[in-house]
Amino acid sequence: MSRPFPYAYLSCPCADTPMPDPSRKRRSRESPQKPNPEQPHPPKVPQGNQEEDEEQEEDQTFDPRSPRSNFSLYPPEQLLYCEDCHQIKCPRCITEEIVCWYCPSCLFETPSSMVRSEGNRCARNCFNCPACTAPLAVTTLENVTGGGSQQGPWVLACGYCMWTTLDIGIKFDKPTNIRTQLFKLTDSSRGRQMSKTFTDLKSPLSTYASIDEQFAASSTESKNGDLAEPAPLDPEAQFAALKNFYKNQIAETSSSPTDPLGPDFGAGFSSPGALNRIMSLYTSSSRLSSLYGGTSKKPKSKPPVMREALTASEGLKTPAPDAEDTIIQRMVSDDCGWDGLASLEQRTFQAPDARFVEDLLPLPVLLRTKRSKRCKSCKHILVKPEFKPQSTRFRIRLIALSYIPLPTLRPLVPGAHGGLPTVSSSSLAPNLDALPPLRTVQLLLTLKNHMFDPVRVTLATPSVTPGRVASKVTILCPQFDIGANSDVWDEALQGTSVGDQRASSRGGGLYEKVAEAGKVWDKGRNWTTVVLEVVPGTLPGGTAGARRRVQQATGADVGGTTTRARGGDGISGDDDDGSDDDALPALDWSGQGQDPGPQPQQLQPDEDVLEIPVFVRMEWDSDNQIDQEQSVGRQNADTVKRELAYWMVLGVGKINPKIV
Amino acid sequence: MASISTATASDEKPTFTSMSVRHSQSGRPSTPQNQLRSQHSSFPSTSSAGSSFRGEEDTIIFELGSRWLRAGLEGDSTPMCVVGTGPEDSRRVGDYRGWLRGDATSGKSYPQSATPEEWTDSYELWKMDLRDVDLGLVEDKLERMVREAYNKYLLTDAGTSRLVLVLPSVMPHPLLSAVLSTLFTRWRFPSITLLPSPGMVVAAAGVRSALVVDIGWAETVVTGIYEYREVSTRRSTRAMKLLLQETGRSLSRLSNSSDESGQISVDLDFCEEVVSRFAWCNSDPSDPANASLLHRTVSIPSPSRPGSNYLDVPFSTFSEPVEKVLLAKGTTECDLDDEEKPLPTLVYRTLLDLPPDARGTCMSRVIFVGGGSKIPGIRRRVLKDVERLVERYGWSPVRGKSIENACEELEKIHISHTPTSITSDKEEPEEPEEPVDGSSRSSSREDNEDDGQEVDPVEQKLRRSKEKEEKPHAHGVLREVESLGAWAGASLVTSLKIRSMVEIEREKYLQNGLAGASRDPESHGHVPDRRSGLRAGGDRSSWTLAGWA
Repeated sequence: MSRPFPYAYLSCPCADTPMPDPSRKRRSRESPQKPNPEQPHPPKVPQGNQEEDEEQEEDQTFDPRSPRSNFSLYPPEQLLYCEDCHQIKCPRCITEEIVCWYCPSCLFETPSSMVRSEGNRCARNCFNCPACTAPLAVTTLENVTGGGSQQGPWVLACGYCMWTTLDIGIKFDKPTNIRTQLFKLTDSSRGRQMSKTFTDLKSPLSTYASIDEQFAASSTESKNGDLAEPAPLDPEAQFAALKNFYKNQIAETSSSPTDPLGPDFGAGFSSPGALNRIMSLYTSSSRLSSLYGGTSKKPKSKPPVMREALTASEGLKTPAPDAEDTIIQRMVSDDCGWDGLASLEQRTFQAPDARFVEDLLPLPVLLRTKRSKRCKSCKHILVKPEFKPQSTRFRIRLIALSYIPLPTLRPLVPGAHGGLPTVSSSSLAPNLDALPPLRTVQLLLTLKNHMFDPVRVTLATPSVTPGRVASKVTILCPQFDIGANSDVWDEALQGTSVGDQRASSRGGGLYEKVAEAGKVWDKGRNWTTVVLEVVPGTLPGGTAGARRRVQQATGADVGGTTTRARGGDGISGDDDDGSDDDALPALDWSGQGQDPGPQPQQLQPDEDVLEIPVFVRMEWDSDNQIDQEQSVGRQNADTVKRELAYWMVLGVGKINPKIV
Repeated sequence: MASISTATASDEKPTFTSMSVRHSQSGRPSTPQNQLRSQHSSFPSTSSAGSSFRGEEDTIIFELGSRWLRAGLEGDSTPMCVVGTGPEDSRRVGDYRGWLRGDATSGKSYPQSATPEEWTDSYELWKMDLRDVDLGLVEDKLERMVREAYNKYLLTDAGTSRLVLVLPSVMPHPLLSAVLSTLFTRWRFPSITLLPSPGMVVAAAGVRSALVVDIGWAETVVTGIYEYREVSTRRSTRAMKLLLQETGRSLSRLSNSSDESGQISVDLDFCEEVVSRFAWCNSDPSDPANASLLHRTVSIPSPSRPGSNYLDVPFSTFSEPVEKVLLAKGTTECDLDDEEKPLPTLVYRTLLDLPPDARGTCMSRVIFVGGGSKIPGIRRRVLKDVERLVERYGWSPVRGKSIENACEELEKIHISHTPTSITSDKEEPEEPEEPVDGSSRSSSREDNEDDGQEVDPVEQKLRRSKEKEEKPHAHGVLREVESLGAWAGASLVTSLKIRSMVEIEREKYLQNGLAGASRDPESHGHVPDRRSGLRAGGDRSSWTLAGWA
């Protein structure tokens, strides 16, 4: 994980509720062999009075390593909370509405009517470099910095990679309205560039013939025009030509005066009619003709058939015979090379036929939106930002962290050498990026309550983490209370008992504090800390020598652990161990790098990360608000018992492949 | 395979209402936005009063493939964005490893070797073989892709407008159901229209019949389309996935020459980069000018450590995988299974499947689309090879030694008997291959028909005027036509207000899922009835999956 260890992720409960799809049941009945990716480990969850439909989900451990969990895990600070559903809301269970559109570069708001016509991009002078995506600056070519003589031609220049529009031969007359200028320039320049290939191409293949009068007027005009300047071959123009052509064809073929349906109806579908009819000719031609027979006196001939595009001005494009060879020649030429060819990333937003760096155009900055967010199920607003793009304030923002306890994890530095300076104690702290396998680590999990009600929390975790790397996890005190987020002064005035405890633990105390099962480690005004004991498992990709040593050192117990864990994955553990030892004696001490072992032995990415799924269930009494149907059980008139349950994933650290 | 078709002509009710709303809004130019807002202020949705109108205007078009989602608005010529499903896109929220390029930790992770299959697996949204596809994961990925497309690029409110989905013309039902369920349950699309991608490719080329060669990710699909209808399809696994794997192997060999295990130890992104930049295909091996290309060298970043040093590599390194994978160079025809025919054979076979008339039309409208069509040289090479096949075998599916012998003997007999008839005999099987004027043929047929019927002057007049209009169509010569692609085709079709055969309404789908589709496409969509105005209550009780059923 790129997050520094230790970290905590929350799984949005929406992942547990499958999509209500009627055909889904049918499907699963039809194909009962659908694999179940999760290995069910019975967790130590004390089965509370959960809702009915959640109960079957309940007996499955959340597997942080399953590929699907990547889509339901969120850092706690990114989650929202719906006060009406009393549920955590992730980006998947909200709907969003756009409040305003603005350019992130100049912070100008774009009115909604203009967004589409501007292609969702800034219409001013904001451009990104096509080569490196850094913002481009409008600079003058003349070095005259005198205030009055800002006359020279202008270019867009990238301050990062030194790309300028001069590289593609573009200069601007004015420093303003660059986008319109650029549009004009590229349109015509592309036209020039294309007209060459256009004339090449026209001769052998196009089948110009007499074009009927009605159409001839327009198309010959445009054809003559074509020869002079335009570019029917760039995709944009081809698209326009095609659209025009289809429109003409549709008009021609459908609006015959003998249309049996008359103008009042014809108007409704005159445009789609023809192509439509032609497309359906084969499915229902009989019906169609019978219909025609019914309405008109005589069996009419078929409606005029739309023809296909025949010329470039109609959108037909046949490639030049040597176009591909030219590209190959250019690719291999010395002045092109690797860097002369545009990368995939650079080509993403360019014209589809851009292949070389010279084809890249500066990109206007993509607009951004401010969106208000609503709960998907009850439509209540969860987030509502200010309308102004410049403002970073929110009118409404219900973030989950003000409702659920914030989990933080830190290693418990053994207090054996209590009272020693921090330097030595930090050296004693386990290196979370290389946890030694099979060595117990104690961690402090602190949950901090932000609600104004005290919360009762129950934690549960599978005793062995799911996956091939089986680490043992024990929560020493799985059930505890967290105080309300009351006034800070309360704590100070509360007396000395809490303070004493804290002083003893924080200051390193005079006596060594030992983590005890069933006891809370530490407790404050609105937070509680408990101890987690973790025994990291061994990595399957670890070298054989290491494993052998493990077996020697720790005996059958460890062997049993790994076997059991891998047996869960359907691999026979003992056989593997044996064959490994036989097959790879030489690669003993290479330690890292390539592991040419058999595939299932290979370490998958992130498999060495020790992540602990923890099921959190919190209960609290809250003031009774309007909706009582959500409440689980009512204690008295003005408080309601609420509960919230979700999975949390604690990232402890990386397990060292070598056993120390 | 019936797929595109039918659209209903008339505007549907929702469209009307939305139009009237639009009119009423634009009809008051002086009315400022705030007034609208204040009118709606009793609703909780004040924030989006302006935006929701905008959303209704434009249909959103998604083209879904096994690796990319192209999304954009109707009437545009290119999609607004292309969103992928690589491993970087499937990371957890808040996991920014993809951005830490050149970092020691991220650099360490990838030069792990992997088998070719595993290497490409994580980059796919789905596979056609659903046995080891986790549909839940497909749904998750799709949801994230669509959400990203909306929030970052489309910038409209998600789910308020109609949605057009361009899909391959063959989709497993569980997959289709997963896609539709995700879209319908996650967002509030009023309806989803399905369009087949080959048909859209044809529409975007401006032709009505064509042979679409889609060199895609998992497979190359050659589809013969006649008058917008799919007539025959053939598939081959020789496509970009194999090409990437092959290139990956050759790059792995470059980086450490001793490794012959067939494992790939380079980064897929890097490999894809190499393929997209340098993959090429010798368009004409007989041309001596092209031969010199093989001896040139180009320098690419070192496969093992891109970003540090460059490596000089012969240019032929990048054409060999292409020829080996797509053209099956170095393998004999008899070794190949049915699903791994090289592209020229595939094209030839598909043409052979077509009736001669359609074949003549399609062969002069060959459209290459898909990622593989961007490889320079491949199009010409495929057409050249097809030409060679035609020269060699004519349009006959019969092969084999004994047939050749028999032919020779027959010819001998013919020569000895009537030397004049050889030409006609030889000509016959190759008939559609020579340029034949379509109009003259059809008119001659019509003349024959006329003999039996009474002469109708009006008909004759019509026919004559029709003949005048008829333009000479390219016919019977191999010719390539370029298309703007399936996405642009769908955009074109949608902006012309043409409706698809398959239009799935939200409520209908949510009730019964795919099972609600009527099995018989003919029973649905009473197109003629609607045209004649019989659509009193709007007969939309049934919907169909048409070609996807």
